[in-house]
Amino acid sequence: MNTTTTRLNALRGGQPPVNHNARTLVGLSVNPGCARRALLDACGADKGTVARQAGHPWQFGQSRFALARGNAFEQQVKEYGGARLLALLRESLDLPVEQVAYIPLKSVGDSTGREQRYRQTCRALVGAARGGPDPGTLYDHPMLRLNVGGNDVYLEPDLIAFKIGDRFYIVEIKSFPVIDRQANGAQVAAATRQASIYVIALQDLFATNGLDPELVATSVFLVTPKDFGNTPIATLVDARKQISMLNRQLARMDRIDILLDLLPSGLTFDLAVDTTGVPTRPAANLAADLRRIPARYRPECMAHCELAGLCRDEARQNASLDVYGQGVVDIFGGVDTTHTALALAEGRQPSDDQAGVARTLRHAERLRAALAEGAA
Amino acid sequence: MQNNEETLDELENRLAQLRRALRLAMVERDAARVAQLRQQLHRAESLWEDKAAAEQPVSAADASDASAPAPVSPDAPVSEPALAALLPTREQVHQTLSLLEVPAAPKLITAVHEAFFPGELPASRLASLRRDEERSYRSAPNARPYYLCPALTADRLAPARALLTVSTWPLERRIMGAHSPRVDFLTTATKIASALISYSQLGPRWTPDAQTRAERLLRSFAVSIPGALGPPTLAGHVPALDPDQVGDAAKAELSVHLEVDRRQRSEAATWARDRLSEAERLFGNRLASVRNSASAD
Repeated sequence: MNTTTTRLNALRGGQPPVNHNARTLVGLSVNPGCARRALLDACGADKGTVARQAGHPWQFGQSRFALARGNAFEQQVKEYGGARLLALLRESLDLPVEQVAYIPLKSVGDSTGREQRYRQTCRALVGAARGGPDPGTLYDHPMLRLNVGGNDVYLEPDLIAFKIGDRFYIVEIKSFPVIDRQANGAQVAAATRQASIYVIALQDLFATNGLDPELVATSVFLVTPKDFGNTPIATLVDARKQISMLNRQLARMDRIDILLDLLPSGLTFDLAVDTTGVPTRPAANLAADLRRIPARYRPECMAHCELAGLCRDEARQNASLDVYGQGVVDIFGGVDTTHTALALAEGRQPSDDQAGVARTLRHAERLRAALAEGAA
Repeated sequence: MQNNEETLDELENRLAQLRRALRLAMVERDAARVAQLRQQLHRAESLWEDKAAAEQPVSAADASDASAPAPVSPDAPVSEPALAALLPTREQVHQTLSLLEVPAAPKLITAVHEAFFPGELPASRLASLRRDEERSYRSAPNARPYYLCPALTADRLAPARALLTVSTWPLERRIMGAHSPRVDFLTTATKIASALISYSQLGPRWTPDAQTRAERLLRSFAVSIPGALGPPTLAGHVPALDPDQVGDAAKAELSVHLEVDRRQRSEAATWARDRLSEAERLFGNRLASVRNSASAD
């Protein structure tokens, strides 16, 4: 066990580690500059419990209804050996009629152990890539593995389709609608990022087995309901940009020890769980430790990070401009807090790099004063 | 869900349980659950009435729920749904699987049953069926004329997820190879298509409701089979459904896969006959480490 692992374990404390999944990896790439999140994720702390214990429980999470809808749609697309999906692939990729093999990888016999399923997935996919006797077409719920910051993360894509031309495609089934061939951009982007993680993991699987990672297509299939019904349609989405972005992100995770070196000694996220599994660490104490690690709060964090409540609270207390989003931060380049902004507007001498912003602020302040006078 | 082989005492216990649950649901104002429990209570009550009446003349009271499925006769004094409600769940499933002749998941069994047979067969009732059947077999092997068993995966002869089969089928049919899901899907389409054709000749005894359900089911299959549906008549209109055409299209695609699938299934079946005990052949090999020699290298 190397020192980084030991230090990460100490940071996490007595709780068992929580594993990354595609969602958390995607969340990570949304705010790459946040050291607090990077460290919590790297040490495998349960951010949800930590946030609750620190007095800022995450309020939203995934909607029960959205989950149920998503599962129902996925089931519809995949039932009867992926019959609907085959029809879609035949339509959009000219999949030959002979290619119908469907290989379920959701369990190995009665066992659903991840390691066993991963080995089974390796065997099936590597066999197919090497052109074994019976190359499959659809692989249902394969188990992939990716090394993130020194730890193995298991990932489970919805499906992998194997196509002629020796290319493997990742199929991502999502239940947001495509209305008149237009889908919500943010949702497509999130789905593509998630699928990109699977592409990277599959490339990694081939590379470790001495095969060409190029076998994996960098375009992913998004299967979504059409218009207001339940009819699935497939769209091929180019994911090259997301893949390279996530690759950069993952490479950065390996350098977690740089962040560890900056930490004050004795800092830990230990929840002091008692014998019944109830965390006993005082909220203020835990929150204080969390606050000693620099965070970079953004409004988008609320949708991606369990700890966002705490960070927002902190940003508000510090009067940080981050609370107002990236657009405002960009306009106020060189000014970090509302206090500074107000002081500059009211005539404080700006530093050199604040001169431009100060002029704008003073102009705005004059306009505001004129308006207030007019109203009086 | 309980089947109909319970005694009067057990039934009375269940009635009491249902009434308690119903009262609780009423207190909690859970309308959906109240409706569901009322229905169950009603069914259990009429079952109790039937049983109590049947026990009076002492004679072969249990004979009605013993073995082979009672053929639903149109001249029967009891109405068809009432008679079907008396059919144990396993008989209903057997009836449905005998129509399909391929391994089927609970959802499909329910849908086919709804379309072609009287009475209800909620998927929830199928949940414990596999376990009950296996328990029954293990306590008294071969005491019943048939058992409902899982399908077996071709690679390790383990029980396949969710799929139900009948023990009297040839082993080849009960094994799922890589091509089997598609082959079974197409076979199911042909079976539903021909059942739809023959049932539509039954006239009023097949309710319009059931016919609509059958047509909807067949359509859900047809959309995934090339050439099974005609071209859309008008923009935005759904193409007409012709059971003959669906059957033909399914058979056409079936001819492409049948040979490959038959080979895979019979290889696995031979292997199973050599290596597995009778119980394992029926309920699957539980040792995940035993692997097909083909996939091990």
